[in-house]
Amino acid sequence: MKKISLILVLIISSIKFAPGQGYPSPGQVKDDGRFAASTKQLNQFFRRFNAEESEDGQTRFNPGDARYHDRELRGKFINILFDNETSQVTKELKQEFITVVNAENYPQYLSFHRGNWFAEVSSFFTYKGKRTPVTLYMKLEEEGLGYEWVIDKISFDPFKQYFNKPEGNKKPFLHPLSHELDFMNLRKALQDGKTPESYTADGFTPDYLTLFLYEIKNGNIKFETVNGVKFHFFQVDGWYFEVNQFNRPGFNTGWLISNLIKVKNEEEKEVILKYIYDQE
Amino acid sequence: MKRYIQAFILLFFAATLTVSAQSDNISPQRKQAIDSLALEKVKDLSKYISIIGSKDTQFSEANRVMDRAEELFSPGSEMGVSSVNSKEVAYYPVRRYFERLMALNYDQVSISWYDIHYISDLERQPDGRYVGVVTVYQRFEGTSAETGLNYKDTTKKDITIYVEKKQTQVAGRTIEFWDVMLGDIRVTETSA
Repeated sequence: MKKISLILVLIISSIKFAPGQGYPSPGQVKDDGRFAASTKQLNQFFRRFNAEESEDGQTRFNPGDARYHDRELRGKFINILFDNETSQVTKELKQEFITVVNAENYPQYLSFHRGNWFAEVSSFFTYKGKRTPVTLYMKLEEEGLGYEWVIDKISFDPFKQYFNKPEGNKKPFLHPLSHELDFMNLRKALQDGKTPESYTADGFTPDYLTLFLYEIKNGNIKFETVNGVKFHFFQVDGWYFEVNQFNRPGFNTGWLISNLIKVKNEEEKEVILKYIYDQE
Repeated sequence: MKRYIQAFILLFFAATLTVSAQSDNISPQRKQAIDSLALEKVKDLSKYISIIGSKDTQFSEANRVMDRAEELFSPGSEMGVSSVNSKEVAYYPVRRYFERLMALNYDQVSISWYDIHYISDLERQPDGRYVGVVTVYQRFEGTSAETGLNYKDTTKKDITIYVEKKQTQVAGRTIEFWDVMLGDIRVTETSA
């Protein structure tokens, strides 16, 4: 019985006192503050942006806690969430952004589940025996009992060159009385022609993702590796920003805002999206 | 006797971690308890990695520790490793990663851990399980007596944790408890 009591005491002590204590005990190295300062996960980027954790990251603030969404803390946090070493974001623009998101009457917070943000994943695949870069655009979606990341779009250069639809009076076409000949000219168009996309409707856009999945299923494209991830946010009214990971010496590291743009209207947002999706 | 001890431990976990058995939502208090459990598993893993990497560990002992370390993981877990010079991720099954660590060609190896960790929020997956990420930092030092070369690096380890509510029968009663398993680990060499 003594043994049981001893084991229970040991378990209780290990569980109750684990949070907030140093990690782990054997061969411990003291952080000089760099890792504490680093925005270590995108989750921490969200928490810092919203002021939902303490300065040292060890205490999570929840609704009802005194410092949850604290304005002063937010101001400090957002200031350090910028890449202050290499980015071209001016001090004035940064300050304007902080004033907007941290406004007393209309503060704006980031939300993991609210949409209007997505990931851009740079990767390598083997295609026709050659190592080929592919960019995957991923978004978070509700599914079943929770959430999942899904592939929303892709950018893949070898597919782009396949679809170059000519326009205007120089383009190949099926003449307007083709129907009277049972569309017999389809043979010339599709068998001999080099640009079958010429015969598609106005507004035709190839679905690269479907093609990509088809090629994977046929074994023609094989995943190799991921070599970079960044995130694009449109959650703050009138603003777009990009978040990148900075792995470098110093205190301004981890997931940080690397690009910030004011977005005046939907048209401007579309221009930015087209640029991100590599569809200019 | 062993059975009694297991029953006591199980009851303890159930009492600590199942605040309301009806709800599948995780309250902040329960989240803290789960964080502690997850940290315990990560601590175990850190301890095992230090033993496997140490040149003082006998081959048979290292294999035994690898078995124990593997038990912490859900099946099919992988380590994705990148360096400062190459951001590309190299993938290793967990066991293979441990074997490579054991086989490193140094006469002396020292693995230590920074006194800092970060635990993400828990997010629910489509299958109802919760997933989180624990970040820790490891310092590695390897010395080769023959060449006198000394290699050092610091790596950031982002460790997936899966949290699942499970049930067990103890003395005819159904006890619910939260279990934590480790999953894929992303290992990034830092510039520190």
